[in-house]
Amino acid sequence: MNSLYMPKDSLIHSLDPRTKMIFVIFVVISSFILNDPALQLLLLVALFPLVLLAKVVKPYLVSIQFLLLFAVLIMTVHGIYNPIGVTPVFEIFGGLTFKYESMVYASVMSFRILVIGTAAVLFVMTTHPSDMASALVKWKVPHSFAFILLSTFQIIPIIAREAKIVMEAQQARCLDVKGSIIQRVKNLVPMFAPLFIITFMKVHQLSYVLECRAFSRKGTKTSLRETRIGSLDYSFLIGMLAILAFEIYVKLFAMGSLHLTTDALLTYSLIGTWIVFGFMIVKFLYKQLQGKIGGAN
Amino acid sequence: MAKKAIEVSNLTFTYPDEEAPVLKDVNFSVNHGEILGIIGPTGAGKSTLAMCVNGLVPQVINGEMEGTVRVNGEDVSESNVAKMSEQVGFVFQEPENQLSQMTIEEEIAFGMGNLGVPRDEMLIRIKDALEQVGLVGFEKRSPLALSGGQQQRLAIASVLAMRPTIMIMDEPTSMLDPKGKNEVYDVLKNLKEYGMTGIIIDHEVERIAAYCDKVLVLSEGEIRMFAPSEEVFTNVEMLHDLTLHAPQVTEFLARYNQQFGQKLKLSTTVEESIEVFESAYK
Repeated sequence: MNSLYMPKDSLIHSLDPRTKMIFVIFVVISSFILNDPALQLLLLVALFPLVLLAKVVKPYLVSIQFLLLFAVLIMTVHGIYNPIGVTPVFEIFGGLTFKYESMVYASVMSFRILVIGTAAVLFVMTTHPSDMASALVKWKVPHSFAFILLSTFQIIPIIAREAKIVMEAQQARCLDVKGSIIQRVKNLVPMFAPLFIITFMKVHQLSYVLECRAFSRKGTKTSLRETRIGSLDYSFLIGMLAILAFEIYVKLFAMGSLHLTTDALLTYSLIGTWIVFGFMIVKFLYKQLQGKIGGAN
Repeated sequence: MAKKAIEVSNLTFTYPDEEAPVLKDVNFSVNHGEILGIIGPTGAGKSTLAMCVNGLVPQVINGEMEGTVRVNGEDVSESNVAKMSEQVGFVFQEPENQLSQMTIEEEIAFGMGNLGVPRDEMLIRIKDALEQVGLVGFEKRSPLALSGGQQQRLAIASVLAMRPTIMIMDEPTSMLDPKGKNEVYDVLKNLKEYGMTGIIIDHEVERIAAYCDKVLVLSEGEIRMFAPSEEVFTNVEMLHDLTLHAPQVTEFLARYNQQFGQKLKLSTTVEESIEVFESAYK
């Protein structure tokens, strides 16, 4: 399997792909409605039980690391240098001060990335690509578009394999792959030109094959994988609708009286991301070291 | 069924940008339930001829075509490839290029889905097709994780599941090792038992001689021989003229006849050849 899909038996997995797609859209909308770091943090925390429910905690944490990298950068750089900040919150060495307004701005942005990332990862990990394609077809998305989406999963490993073959063939023709950076960049041409040609030929051939499998036939098409919207999906959808209504209510009427975002919250979330980031670096260095020691043996 | 399964008459085809036609006035017909082997040197137009039968040429691969191709009495040029695929299944040379889905069962279901086969029927047909090609138990695997022979059998299975009456295989074994070749030919033998009509293009004369009812020899776009396989492969001089060769046992008997001025009966099977040769020494 070349996608991130994790075949598990869970409540989230058994949901219809369409429900999950709506869920992703819902999370995106929510993250824009809740324009406040505290509320977004709440949303992020609220999403975590779903990850737990889908039994994908470990792969989720691995893939969310990369988004956290963005969050750390945004929060640090914006917090210090964003010109909208006026009220200083705290100072670190060298006279660099984190300011309240810019920290709010940075937190909103980075939490939004994390929230949307979480929803997207949750969707990708719990939905089989073929299910997604057949669900899209049910939404009247053209069959060929769904096929393009699906065939990317198939074509990438094939291209990777061809790339290896081309590289080995060119090496056999004295292409220097271990030279200087400039030499290597120059070598991209004899690598990629044949690779592109091979890929185009393969795709061309595939188009004949598809034609022989009646791909362009008019009329109804059926799918092996069945997706059906059940009572679980309906309750999920109603839940989302209710939360959305509540969010809009909060946004319109209760925002003025809510003061969840404090200096402390901002500071702690900043330091929190730093600590987690620090852990990541330590883990990375540890692995590097382990690899070095392992290599010496 | 009185009509012929495949009827090709006066077929001439020229690729664009080329002066000489790749097929010149080709005439042949295949009865229902027969397996036709097409042999010929590279560039003889074998693949083009095969693709004319299901309409890929000239509808998808452009060119100038004259003459008519009839499949089950229906003129191919009045139909389209997608419609023809209900009757004619086509297996290509490269196994890997024919795969587009994530799992084996989906790969087989893909063609059927395009034809609008209901899901319950699909499950039955998938099971049937996998049994026919001997891939039962592989349903959930990725097609890319299979060996070449298995991939080619999968490609055959996905065509079989569409239940065509005619099966065309264009050099299905050229990328495979001997074991993979045997696997594919065993499937071909099964097809014959199911009463399907088949066309197979290959360079494996031994296997063609063993499995095909009729053989068509194509050279430079012209039919040089079209006869039952026994008759084609015993005409050794003609095959040599076309840079082809007969099965090794036939070659052996022919060379023996030539060298010792004998008139032994030429045969294409090992068993018969042994008998003929032994009787010559009695």
